[in-house]
Amino acid sequence: MVSAEVVRAAARPQRVRFGSLRRALRGLADSVLASLIGLLFGAALMWVFGYDALGAYAVLFRGAFMDPEGLMESMAVAVPLILTALTFSIGVRAGLFNIGAEGQMYLGAIGAIIVGSFMTVPVPFHLLAATASGMLFGLLWSLPVAVLKLARQVHEVFSTIMMNWVAYWLTIYLITYFLADPSRAERALPVKETARYQVIGATLTTVVIPALILALASYLILWRTTVGFEIRVTGSNIEASRYAGIRQFRVYLMSIALGGLTAGFAGASQVLGRPPSWTVYATLGNVMNIGYEGLGVALIGRNHPIGIIFAALFYGGLIHGGRFMEFYYGVASEIVRTINGIIIIALSVPELASLLKSAVRRGHGA
Amino acid sequence: MRVPNILLSRTLLIAAPIAGVALTSLLLSLMGVRTLGVIETTLLAMTPLVLAATGECLNERAGMVNVGLEGIIVISALFSVYWAEVYGSGLMGLVGGVVTGMIAGLLLGVLGTYLRANQIVVGMGINVAALGLVQYLLMAIWAFPGIHIFPRELMLDRIMIGIFGEQISVSPVTLFAFAAAVIAHLLLFNTKAGLWIRAAGDRPEALDVAGINVNRLRIVTSVISGGFAGMAGAFLPLVWFGGLVKEISAGRGFIALAAVAASGLNPLIALLATVVFGFSEAVAYSVAITPGVKEAVPFYLIQMSPYILTIAVLAALVKTRRFPRYLGKPYVRE
Amino acid sequence: MEGPILLEASKIVKAFPGVWEHLVLDNIDFDLRSGEVHALLGENGAGKTVLANILSGFYVATSGVIRVKGKLVKFRSPADALKHGIGMVHQENTLVPSLTVLENVELTVRSWNYFRGISRKTRAILEELMERYGIRVELDRKVEDLSVGERQRAEILKVLFWEPEVLILDEPTSALTQLEAEQLMGAITKMKLNGKGIIYITHRIDEVFQVADRVTVLRLGKKMGTYRVREVTKEQLLKAMLGETGPSLHTASRKLEGAGRPVLEVDDLHVLSDDERLAVRGVSFTLREGEILGIAGIAGNGQKELVEALVGLRKVLSGRIRLMGIDVTNASPRVLLSLGLRYVPEDRRNVGVVESMEVWENLILKDYLRPEFCSFGVLKVGNAMRFAERMVREFQIQVPGVSGSEVRILSGGNIQRLILARELWTKPRVLVAHHPTHGLDLKAASYTHSLLQELKRAGSAILLISEDLDEVVEVSDRVAVMCEGRFTGLLEGEQIQREAVGRLMIGG
Repeated sequence: MVSAEVVRAAARPQRVRFGSLRRALRGLADSVLASLIGLLFGAALMWVFGYDALGAYAVLFRGAFMDPEGLMESMAVAVPLILTALTFSIGVRAGLFNIGAEGQMYLGAIGAIIVGSFMTVPVPFHLLAATASGMLFGLLWSLPVAVLKLARQVHEVFSTIMMNWVAYWLTIYLITYFLADPSRAERALPVKETARYQVIGATLTTVVIPALILALASYLILWRTTVGFEIRVTGSNIEASRYAGIRQFRVYLMSIALGGLTAGFAGASQVLGRPPSWTVYATLGNVMNIGYEGLGVALIGRNHPIGIIFAALFYGGLIHGGRFMEFYYGVASEIVRTINGIIIIALSVPELASLLKSAVRRGHGA
Repeated sequence: MRVPNILLSRTLLIAAPIAGVALTSLLLSLMGVRTLGVIETTLLAMTPLVLAATGECLNERAGMVNVGLEGIIVISALFSVYWAEVYGSGLMGLVGGVVTGMIAGLLLGVLGTYLRANQIVVGMGINVAALGLVQYLLMAIWAFPGIHIFPRELMLDRIMIGIFGEQISVSPVTLFAFAAAVIAHLLLFNTKAGLWIRAAGDRPEALDVAGINVNRLRIVTSVISGGFAGMAGAFLPLVWFGGLVKEISAGRGFIALAAVAASGLNPLIALLATVVFGFSEAVAYSVAITPGVKEAVPFYLIQMSPYILTIAVLAALVKTRRFPRYLGKPYVRE
Repeated sequence: MEGPILLEASKIVKAFPGVWEHLVLDNIDFDLRSGEVHALLGENGAGKTVLANILSGFYVATSGVIRVKGKLVKFRSPADALKHGIGMVHQENTLVPSLTVLENVELTVRSWNYFRGISRKTRAILEELMERYGIRVELDRKVEDLSVGERQRAEILKVLFWEPEVLILDEPTSALTQLEAEQLMGAITKMKLNGKGIIYITHRIDEVFQVADRVTVLRLGKKMGTYRVREVTKEQLLKAMLGETGPSLHTASRKLEGAGRPVLEVDDLHVLSDDERLAVRGVSFTLREGEILGIAGIAGNGQKELVEALVGLRKVLSGRIRLMGIDVTNASPRVLLSLGLRYVPEDRRNVGVVESMEVWENLILKDYLRPEFCSFGVLKVGNAMRFAERMVREFQIQVPGVSGSEVRILSGGNIQRLILARELWTKPRVLVAHHPTHGLDLKAASYTHSLLQELKRAGSAILLISEDLDEVVEVSDRVAVMCEGRFTGLLEGEQIQREAVGRLMIGG
């Protein structure tokens, strides 16, 4: 209930200081609150089954963040998450619900393996070629989604999920029949030394640098270029974008294509940007779900590239820490995924923080 | 791209799938595949799809979108097995699955109406959470990661039906699913409740002015959608697979959504669509196990076919269907 | 003859959160007696519909009380109000498009059996009502297949089904033909004789004298007065509605025919509406440099479709549009923009601006590809911000800052200034202005008109589409009247008089 006096007062114009900062902080409050809700739910889930939730969380946070080795590992886990989150966020900014990162990532890994394991390229270029190949494959896998949307108005939620499943089987097929490691048939041939990023520590490699650069580039593209401007206008108000003369099909194509590039790089990062023993297994065990988890990371990061970097680090830490939780307390590490899901649900509510604030106030009879 | 208006024709919509299925069956029997086995598998494969699609048709007619069907199926599968074991009865397991689904539907309903949440995000959140939850619970409840096989006695019985002079086994749940689709259709187009549901999606103001609480109605349809998806989830282990794995759904929830979309939210046409999808899955399965055929076609490529088929169906049909104006939008009076 | 007070509202206040400038309703008192028609008169945006929505339970007042037959009531929903005998026929009908008229009414029948079909009783009652009040409509056709007039009749029937004692009609004749309007007036008289109380919302003074017993004038959320229709003159009402002694708008320096080159030539245009009906049926005209061509007409006669076709937002069925001699039929908005055509849309908030973006971003919404604002695809943010500051100063747009806050918080008048700044700063060759002063207060409206006049003097050609008869008459050099998709007349110079235009608007 707004009193008349308040409305009259607001009618006098005043300079809103740091308006965008204030908006950002409100968004941050929502993300923090949602994360707490998620963690609380996870704790409840552990208590119900008799696990020591507090001990488990303690071990999780210590292992993920307090230890230099653990921190680097968390960062390593965060790298592909940043990229798949970018795929989703660039989609959201254009008004799309693009969850195709999963499949595009698998194809990106394939692309990187083809160049990285099976081709011989002179040293300075091998790494670049393999990375580019990964990004290209991701891009190509994203194009059908764009075509289906533009030509037949198929909603991207459907087409991306179907493409993800096709990619799943296609990737297993390719690895099993064409890209297998002759000595260990259950996995793809590991990428050659010449096409690998340098290891920094734990499983973190220098691939983190291009990943961060891609995030920064996404920010610049969205807020400092005409293409990004068109994307944001279309995503905010499609009627106004038509009025402004913006061609939606170009916007959707760019958004989906950019998403394909980053997702492809995510896949490439897992075969090129991890220690030499790493490669993709026919079960896809070590690349699965990173695409879908990127959704949660994107939401926590408010669909902003800078926020995504921090959100990815947070969630990467949760995943890595989850392994300690499993080792010391027997809690299945997949509970972290459940926490992610709860955070996503919490963040689906607009203005979460203010909603809870008013609920609390009402509860106190204010 | 201009597609001929022929796709709008009702008769073609109904005739084409039937013709396609008949032709393919003929082809398969020529290749040595046991047709009756294909029919049985088709009925099994389409049951979860029909259930989920029927519930979701009602839900989307009222203006709500539930993309969490996949997650609900998975988590209901798990809880249905759990309940079945606790109560020693497959039937209780089925009930447990339905209840689980209804709770999930309730969550989605409340979030999507009163809290004005983005329904697609909630649905995806349910999917992500459910997958993690299933893996966690497999460990927490049965202390065994990844898979759980339960005693055979808990599975629900099937009955034998005579068709084309031979006997095939059909589950009562399948028959219920068919009946549900018919009842849903009648409800939607011949009763007052159906008018309310259609109004809620097409012009909620009209319902509001008439004194019906739009949000409450939408929560009800959301619970129905969840409940049916829950039954679909219970069906998979208790009637078909006899065990529980985290990939038990394999995208069925989304295929059901595709059936709903392609049918223009019409339960009977969605039923037809699920026949097509179920049939394709059965064909894939039969081809994969039939000697002589399975060497010719790589297994993995066959596995892809249901998903590619879904894309094709959507590409052909979605553009021609008319959807409620307020699909996915929360109703706010002011 | 008038009876006891049916409905009484005291000190009604309504504030909408996020609207900056003024209270939507500021301490309104209102009462209605049985057997009378009480008109609510005011310009667009005065708050009439909001008050009606509060009285009919659709909105909740921020403060104030409502009494029905002396008893204090608090409506929580429109159904609540209906139970107390208050029914409202909205301007935008509340019918479900995919259902038939009968189904729409059946929807409102409360019975405990959810699974019944449509009862025969409903049909019988409706037939009786149609007889009693002389309102005819086909019960078994889907609402989406009905014409605008038929839909309105269906909506009225739907409300009458509940036999309300108070009937609120919001701009009921806005989409009716002459004949339909007369039928409606007849029905209203019958309702009056039946003892009902009717609240008749309109912005047309003539209608007040046609049908009402009393009239309350609202202006920008404030009540200017309640008068007995027999005891008040048109001029008094006009003064109350508009504030000062009639709008002191500039006497348009009416250009004579033949002055200026043709810039926009429209030839036998046919355009379909969203529901596949022919909305524009063969419109032709020429727009010249340095003139304002006003297109008058009641909204819903094809103006929206005509405008959208001209600015590239709607496909043309047949006919030709030439801009500067170049055929631009079905050209994209981009192409038209590059040829110097600008457009001020009717829907300010949802089309004219992107509410979630900042002021500077909205100001370059159409010009971001110009070399001064971008190079090689990169935005020159500094230039854009400086440009925005300049525009804010020149056009006196009241904003907290060119960046840092969303355009959403601006008032309607300021959003219009922003849009005008954006569309006018390049001195466009052709400007299409669709209801540009709709919902604005007098100051903002006259500012808009002065800008248009300035633009005209600088040589631009302006197409002004407006339902506001007075605006069109005051501002235009030539006036065309649009009725049912056609131009029913083209007036120039001395011919442009209120009565003449008004007559053409109703098709006579």
